[in-house]
Amino acid sequence: MIAFEHVGKRYGGRFEALADVNFRLSRGEMVFLTGHSGAGKSSVLKLLTCLERPSRGRIVVAGHDLGRLGNAQIPFYRRQLGVVFQNHQLLFDRSVFENVALPLSIQGFTADEVARRVRAALDKVGLLHREKALPIELSGGEQQRIGIARAVVHKPALLLADEPTGNLDPQLSADIMRLFEDFNRIGTTVLIASHDLALIARLKHRVLRLREGRLVGDEGMGS
Amino acid sequence: MKKGRRTHQGARNQQSSFERQRLAWQAHHRQTARDALHRLKQRPIGTAMTLMAIAVALVLPAALWLLLGSAQVLDRNLSDTAQLTVYMTPSASDADASSLLERVRARDDVSSVTLVTPEQGLEQFQKTLGLGDALSGLDKNPLPAALIVKPVTQTPEAVSALSLALKQMPKVDEAQVDMQWLERLKQLSTLGQRVVLSFGALFALGVILIVGNTIRLSVENRREEIEVITLIGATHAFVRRPFLYSGAWLGLGGGIASLILLAAGMAWLSAPLTALAESYGGQWAVPSLGFEGSLFLLIVSTLLGWLGAFIAVGRHLSHMTPK
Ligand SMILES: Nc1ncnc2c1ncn2[C@@H]1O[C@H](COP(=O)(O)OP(=O)(O)O)[C@@H](O)[C@H]1O
Ligand SMILES: [Mg+2]
Repeated sequence: MIAFEHVGKRYGGRFEALADVNFRLSRGEMVFLTGHSGAGKSSVLKLLTCLERPSRGRIVVAGHDLGRLGNAQIPFYRRQLGVVFQNHQLLFDRSVFENVALPLSIQGFTADEVARRVRAALDKVGLLHREKALPIELSGGEQQRIGIARAVVHKPALLLADEPTGNLDPQLSADIMRLFEDFNRIGTTVLIASHDLALIARLKHRVLRLREGRLVGDEGMGS
Repeated sequence: MKKGRRTHQGARNQQSSFERQRLAWQAHHRQTARDALHRLKQRPIGTAMTLMAIAVALVLPAALWLLLGSAQVLDRNLSDTAQLTVYMTPSASDADASSLLERVRARDDVSSVTLVTPEQGLEQFQKTLGLGDALSGLDKNPLPAALIVKPVTQTPEAVSALSLALKQMPKVDEAQVDMQWLERLKQLSTLGQRVVLSFGALFALGVILIVGNTIRLSVENRREEIEVITLIGATHAFVRRPFLYSGAWLGLGGGIASLILLAAGMAWLSAPLTALAESYGGQWAVPSLGFEGSLFLLIVSTLLGWLGAFIAVGRHLSHMTPK
């Protein structure tokens, strides 16, 4: 599903955020990407979402060589991904329903199909009853769930998350992780960047460890 | 049999899904246009100021255009009255005058000719100068007989050719063409057209800048939203669309405001202008753009708004491509 081959990323031509990173993710895997702050976790996700291009090496996702993807193709590549952001990034001037519907409106689904899929996604994250609410009326944990509903509403094959439990207490964090496990169980490949080591240790998944831009560990493979 | 039915159904689903996609597309456009209008209404003061700025930028070239248009009507009226005055020599007799009259009347390039006898000339002279009987003391009428000749063709070339021909006829002293000022008027009107065109281009640029600046601010306000939808797969066209609709609405609204301003301004000017025209013995219809002109102005202003928005969003999008 994902292949990183000798990937390097420099910002501003000088600073090396990633150096010679190699790893592979198979379809249907659930993997954590961890490391200290500034280790390069977000950089890996930015490369995967084409927010940044690699300075060196090759990244292949679901058959797409990201280095060769033209600017015009990037939107269509991104539609195959589900992305959960660090600070949830919901649009605060729109209802929960409209937020979750965004990927579908962008892809030109009809109104009734949008409604059906949005309700299904909200149901999965347990917030179907809040569809008319504004994000500001929701708790942090609920907002994060809405973010996840938006990421999965178009049934992506690959789900990427950057610190999805960043500002949540341990109980809520565990709930969110369980949600990701649910999506992984139905076949979605999941990659989560997180520095919450305690939480990651409890969940028995493969862990990629970064330190100063280098991959220094790949544990729990095949478990 | 089961398989056959499924294929049939598949084809139908495909067809209907294409149709559904087209409908979804149309619905999306309607929704985006409505949203854009709604957003403009949410900031009534800012929107009103932008609309007024656009209206002012459009009103000046439009008003110039109108005034030039009525000047051309005036010009056409004057061309119809272009004429030559043929003065006979003082020694010419009444018989000479009537024979000249016949010969000039017979010419193909003359549409009409009237004879002004020395007596009629004197009378007119007295009347226009308001001298009353002051000239009646003259023992001899100093004025020669004259012919007022209207040419068939009104072009300067044709008229001067005619005047040359008339001058060479017997007992003719002078054939005077009152064309020079007419030519000047024509040149002025060409100049006027170019002035209107260049003002038009300049103020069109103004409209693009006004809308561009307004849209730039709203792009700035919706920066996060743009980042989010771009990250989940919005194309540049999708990101642009709401702003293009805003720009087009602003252009259209500004165009309507400019039509109102223009109508009000022309109504206000019409009384003094009509009076002025009447004092010159002319006629003055209050100029208006009419239906086609108004439609043209609205289309142009809408397109300018759209273009301003396109440029403003384009600048933002070009900063967003991955490096
Ligand atoms: N856009 C950027 N420009 C310059 N430096 C950056 C940029 N993004 C990240 N970095 C630097 O790259 C390194 C890795 O950052 P990041 O990938 O965000 O790490 P993490 O998510 O693991 O905290 C950090 O030292 C960070 O300062
Ligand atoms: Mg990070």
